[in-house]
Amino acid sequence: MSDILRIEGLSISFGGLKAVDDLSFSVREGEIFGLIGPNGAGKTTVFNCITQFYKPDAGKVFFRHKDGEINLVGRKVHQIISYGLVRTFQNVEVIRELSLLDNVLIGAHGAFRATIFEQALKLPRARREEREWRAKAEHALEFMGIADRKDLPAGGQPYGVLKKTELARALMCAPNLIILDEPAAGLNDNETDALAALIRQIRDEYNCTILLVEHDMRLVMGVCDRICVISFGKFLACGTAAEIRDDKTVQEAYLGEEE
Amino acid sequence: MLKRIYKNPYARFAFFGALLALLPLFTSAGLIKVSVLTTVASIFIYSIAALGLNLLLGYAGQISLGTAGFMGLGAYLAGYLAKDMPAAFWIGLLAAIIVPTLIGILVGFISLRIAGIYLAIATLCVSEILLKTFEEVEPFTGGMRGMNIKYPQIFGIQMDRTTMYWLLVGFLVLMMILTYNLVNGQFGRALHAMRGSESAAQAMGVNLLKYRLIVFALATAYAALAGALYVFFIRSSYPTTWSLMLSLNLVAAIVIGGMRSIYGTVVGAFVVWGLSDLVIKQLPVIRDLNGVAFIATGILIVVIIMFYPGGLRNIWYDVPRALRKLRAKVRPKTPQLEDEL
Repeated sequence: MSDILRIEGLSISFGGLKAVDDLSFSVREGEIFGLIGPNGAGKTTVFNCITQFYKPDAGKVFFRHKDGEINLVGRKVHQIISYGLVRTFQNVEVIRELSLLDNVLIGAHGAFRATIFEQALKLPRARREEREWRAKAEHALEFMGIADRKDLPAGGQPYGVLKKTELARALMCAPNLIILDEPAAGLNDNETDALAALIRQIRDEYNCTILLVEHDMRLVMGVCDRICVISFGKFLACGTAAEIRDDKTVQEAYLGEEE
Repeated sequence: MLKRIYKNPYARFAFFGALLALLPLFTSAGLIKVSVLTTVASIFIYSIAALGLNLLLGYAGQISLGTAGFMGLGAYLAGYLAKDMPAAFWIGLLAAIIVPTLIGILVGFISLRIAGIYLAIATLCVSEILLKTFEEVEPFTGGMRGMNIKYPQIFGIQMDRTTMYWLLVGFLVLMMILTYNLVNGQFGRALHAMRGSESAAQAMGVNLLKYRLIVFALATAYAALAGALYVFFIRSSYPTTWSLMLSLNLVAAIVIGGMRSIYGTVVGAFVVWGLSDLVIKQLPVIRDLNGVAFIATGILIVVIIMFYPGGLRNIWYDVPRALRKLRAKVRPKTPQLEDEL
């Protein structure tokens, strides 16, 4: 299997603090890859450097999409999704005033070709696109098992439903790589188990790679093919769940403290 | 049949327009004063500008205090072109939309990277500059003495107050439909995303700068159209009309009617510009008290913001709900009543 995402020598600092320090790892196509580390290890920072919400001080983020491999560093945030890389947010970012279906449709934003004039006049292309994507969005909600709520406004929906809505939204762009930012945050054990099953199902049905940044060991150990551990922004270890569990440095930095 | 009209949004807009179009029949029958027609028609004009501002304020979450300036620019451009050529209605209208929109895009470009209160200040400055220009460029605007034109000719037909009224109803319904289409498609969702969560919008591929610019240009185009229609209907334009007061009133109309509501915008415009002329000044005794209309409108705005922050459009849902509750309370022993309702 070839690498879909390759991170080389990534560094970023805020003030004097090195949040990420010369970090390198790579994610293979089709795998579920976990990025873990103790609190404040810089997981989310790495994540934001990949998706270009932060501009790294040094290093490269190579991403392989349909036209070959590109370095994501320096691209605009809104361009990232067009390469087939989509993310979710730690504190679900949905639009409260919109229905679940409309929230999911935001994920298809880049797929629309109709101009604003065509949309204002509802010309055939605008109507057709809207109809087609609405059907796809409904399918994505069905896949998540929340299709019965599709017309309800997102504000007031339970947290679990919003998380699923966000996942459905991420699926709309037919992504090659989905990055999940702490998907298990705020979920109980049962919900976390269901989430693990769902993540596998997404990988299999939508044929994509999943990188998850996670705090919850239960989810990571259960679902990830490979795991990369970082601590204080530095690379610690990378391997399967069993390898990580047996790794001395990891135990010291992370698991040792937990147990 | 009625139910089908109710279900289809476009049929609803058409029905709404048809209802409004009936008003001149009452005035010609002598049931309603002619001045009411003028007031209502100006409310339509302000509604169009407010619809554009609602795109900006309600959907995209950006504040502009420059709407009046762009309205005035549209009014003067249309008026200047139509002054000596009453037949130049369409040319005047088109020019009056395009030029301010281009200026709006320019302003948008300069202020692209600012949002929120800074955008409000920037647009306020542009509006004040335009206002000063209206006062100073006398050969074009007539300065403080104002500009006066005649009713236009459209397709060779000489317009009068009543036909202009119908034209304005047509424009209002058209703009309501266009706005409805815009906000319920990909563009509208992008605006929602921008307001709701900038990071989510960006992650989903929404180019914030591009959409801020587009929505600003659109709001300007709506304002300019409203300004042009104003000068064709009122047949005069004075710099004082296009002051900050008007921009603030437009914001008030949106807040009162309801953010992100198309009918609400029109209702809000009725409250802001219609309440004093159509209701308070019709009441005995009270109408003789100076300034009471302004005070009443002001109090109403405060009351709505404090106790009904969703805006008046919620009455549409809240009144039937309250009635249902009331009926359920009055006859609690007949549970099948719930089903009937």
